[in-house]
Amino acid sequence: MYGLSCQQGKLAHRIRDMQQLPYVVVTNPHINEVYDLYYNAFDTFRKVKDIKTLDDNDRFCKTIRSTLKAHLTVIPKLAMGILQSNGLMDAAELDKFMNTILRSRISRRVIAEQHLALTDTFHAHWFSPGAKLSESEFIGEVFLKCVGKDVVSRCANAVREILQRAYGPDVTLPEIRIDGHLDANFPYILSHLEYIIGELLRNSVQAVAEKHQRRADKATHPDKPPPPIEVTICESQQHVIIRISDQGGGIPRENLPYLWSFSKGPASDKILANFGKVPKMAATMQELQVEDHEHRSSGSGSGSHGQSSHASAREGGEIGQDVNSSLASLSSRPPNLRLGMGLPLSRVYAEYWAGSLALHSLEGYGVDAFLQISKLGNKNEQLTTRASMDAV
Amino acid sequence: MRRTIARPLRFMPRAVQRFNCGPRASSTLHHLKDASVAHHRPQTHHHRDRDHERRRPESDVVPHLARQPLHPLSLADLVKHGRPPLGAEALLASARFTLSLLPIRLAHRIQALRNLPYIVVSNPNISKIYNNYQASLSTLLPWQGRTISNLEDEIRFTEVLAELVQTHTDTIPILARGFLECRKYISPAEVTRFLDEHLRARIGTRLVAEQHIALHFSSTPHFDPAASPTPCPEHPSYIGVIDTALRPASTVDSCGGFVADICELNYGVRPQWIVDGEPDTTFAFVPMHLEYIITELLKNAFRATVENGMSREPVVITIAPEPPEVKPPQQQGQVHLKPPKESRGAFDRDAIAPLDDNAPGVTIRIRDRGGGIGSDVLPHIWSYSFTTFSESDDVPGGSWGSDDALSVISAANNGSSSIAGLGYGLPLSRAYAEYFGGGIAVQSLHGWGTDVYLRLKGVGKIE
Repeated sequence: MYGLSCQQGKLAHRIRDMQQLPYVVVTNPHINEVYDLYYNAFDTFRKVKDIKTLDDNDRFCKTIRSTLKAHLTVIPKLAMGILQSNGLMDAAELDKFMNTILRSRISRRVIAEQHLALTDTFHAHWFSPGAKLSESEFIGEVFLKCVGKDVVSRCANAVREILQRAYGPDVTLPEIRIDGHLDANFPYILSHLEYIIGELLRNSVQAVAEKHQRRADKATHPDKPPPPIEVTICESQQHVIIRISDQGGGIPRENLPYLWSFSKGPASDKILANFGKVPKMAATMQELQVEDHEHRSSGSGSGSHGQSSHASAREGGEIGQDVNSSLASLSSRPPNLRLGMGLPLSRVYAEYWAGSLALHSLEGYGVDAFLQISKLGNKNEQLTTRASMDAV
Repeated sequence: MRRTIARPLRFMPRAVQRFNCGPRASSTLHHLKDASVAHHRPQTHHHRDRDHERRRPESDVVPHLARQPLHPLSLADLVKHGRPPLGAEALLASARFTLSLLPIRLAHRIQALRNLPYIVVSNPNISKIYNNYQASLSTLLPWQGRTISNLEDEIRFTEVLAELVQTHTDTIPILARGFLECRKYISPAEVTRFLDEHLRARIGTRLVAEQHIALHFSSTPHFDPAASPTPCPEHPSYIGVIDTALRPASTVDSCGGFVADICELNYGVRPQWIVDGEPDTTFAFVPMHLEYIITELLKNAFRATVENGMSREPVVITIAPEPPEVKPPQQQGQVHLKPPKESRGAFDRDAIAPLDDNAPGVTIRIRDRGGGIGSDVLPHIWSYSFTTFSESDDVPGGSWGSDDALSVISAANNGSSSIAGLGYGLPLSRAYAEYFGGGIAVQSLHGWGTDVYLRLKGVGKIE
């Protein structure tokens, strides 16, 4: 019931937000599609009566699942809509709208997915009410114990593989070294963490590889390796900080003002063109279903529908293979298609869980990224921040 | 290396009255009682210099001067008179230019001080600084009506400038002490606001004065760099106090050596450091400023490293020159990039615009394994140290709550100013960095170490 009322309330608010945006923005085809999606979702949830029986709950879960699926493409659609709205509305206002809607979306989806996972656990053959679950099992999807070093390694491998495939065998990719407090662990939503770290590592690896290709002494020293990327994990009582330090040349000055914004100013057109080229960006339900079927028959991941994302993640499955994650299609895109979303989107996720994402650029040299993760669930849980996030 | 030149007669600041406006004064009445006692002390004729100033409005020029706008100083102004050695005419032009700026700058400072609470400016230390400014202004006023058109005048004017620089050398520690004593009467926020503005203004004023002095001593008519009271290096890459070919790696190595010496004296351990990136980078900057900043940042890094037991881990300093010839970002959309709030000082109109907005600058990253900065301390690193001082009574003689033998000793050794040891290092370094359009950002990995990013904008291409 809590889940239901949350969905209804939050959806209503977002629809209101969208209704307040300038006419010219909401009549953009992408934004308009999102508006329709939200409206339909609201309508659907509105019609759900009280949930009193297990059957009621199953029906509710079906509704949630189909809504989640339909809304997989909301993020890229919104992003495209915003890019196309360049100049039609104040960029800062657009960012504010985007941040609000994304934060709200995170909470709705987390609540929804949590409910689905709880239901699944309840129905699992090995589950009996009142039984104690060990720490390695988990209740629902939400907070999984993440070991920093493992997550970073997995992401590093996935990123290198995607990029190597895209660049071809002649391009040498930098090594990714991990040091610091290697045992650090903390609870987090794995898909979020993997997205953020994946984006940061991708940015770094791409920058270093491409800078290395352009180096002056390429002809005379063809075998010189590119400078490694150094990841440092640091754990303190309240935080875990992951620093990713590269020598990729830094962020060009002209990009700096738009780094954290969904608006990209003069580069908007180019980025929009890239969106169009990414497979599954403008995915319809049809395409996703076909993809889903292919994915399951290829044998990676396992278990039932609702569990596949967890299982594949838990077993160290490949990132980007999980088509039920809305972040998956973004993570598996080839490197030449720069969407400009990675940083602002990562920051929304980082900040949602009372953390932060900061970047320091040494222009001409490289970039240091700092992901700060709050160790939620301990006594010091930052209740105020979380409360204000959830209020959206 | 400080030589004196003939000093003209001038008013000496009054000796401070001996009433107490520090913590032992339990009520303002008590203070007033002392004040009335002070009134009856034997007076001298120089009313303007008494701590209990009773200004005579009709002869007070400050409001008039302070109403005039501050000339937005550009570095072009400082170097427009040409490369040394300047000939007589150029030197005179420089003198006239300097004269046109200084009285107004001083008047603005006096005005700002006057706007502090009465009880604060009555503090002997603050009052001393206030008097210094008034005295300096009074030495410049006689020059205002005249045009400096011959070398004799120019020599005397330069002496006045040297006097000014000398008098105000210890402004910061004295102000610091004063504000510390007055912490009950003024909020930390107000002090920070005042100091941010004051210290930035001070940088500019000293720069203008020292520039002319250096140009004077390197000029054709007076060539004698060794006699200059302020640094006047005899090197073709210098224009006054600006070194057009400053190599930050060299600054790092010399400051590093100095700070490491002190560590060795204090802790028995000598921290290591590595300079990587592009050590041979050079750019145009004011060496004195860079030395101050680097010394402060290295002090923090070295001390943290040693105290964290990691002295075998070198501090890594990366020098990253900005690529040249980059077009400035087109400010089309309404999205403006600002550095994060907590790393930005109260930077305002008093900055010197770099000669050339595209002047290649340098970013210097200082990375240490000193254990990082705790989240309870982090919000305060940009504050002036008095805020961390405890509420207990009197200010002890030497170390001011900054339990920092390192700083005290370095202050003693550092001939120029005893700025060190106040906990002013970071905010002041930031003021210097921001003055030419750069900045400092601090990123802590609590439990591991700290990264400090020093962005310096070059002072420009000088043909």
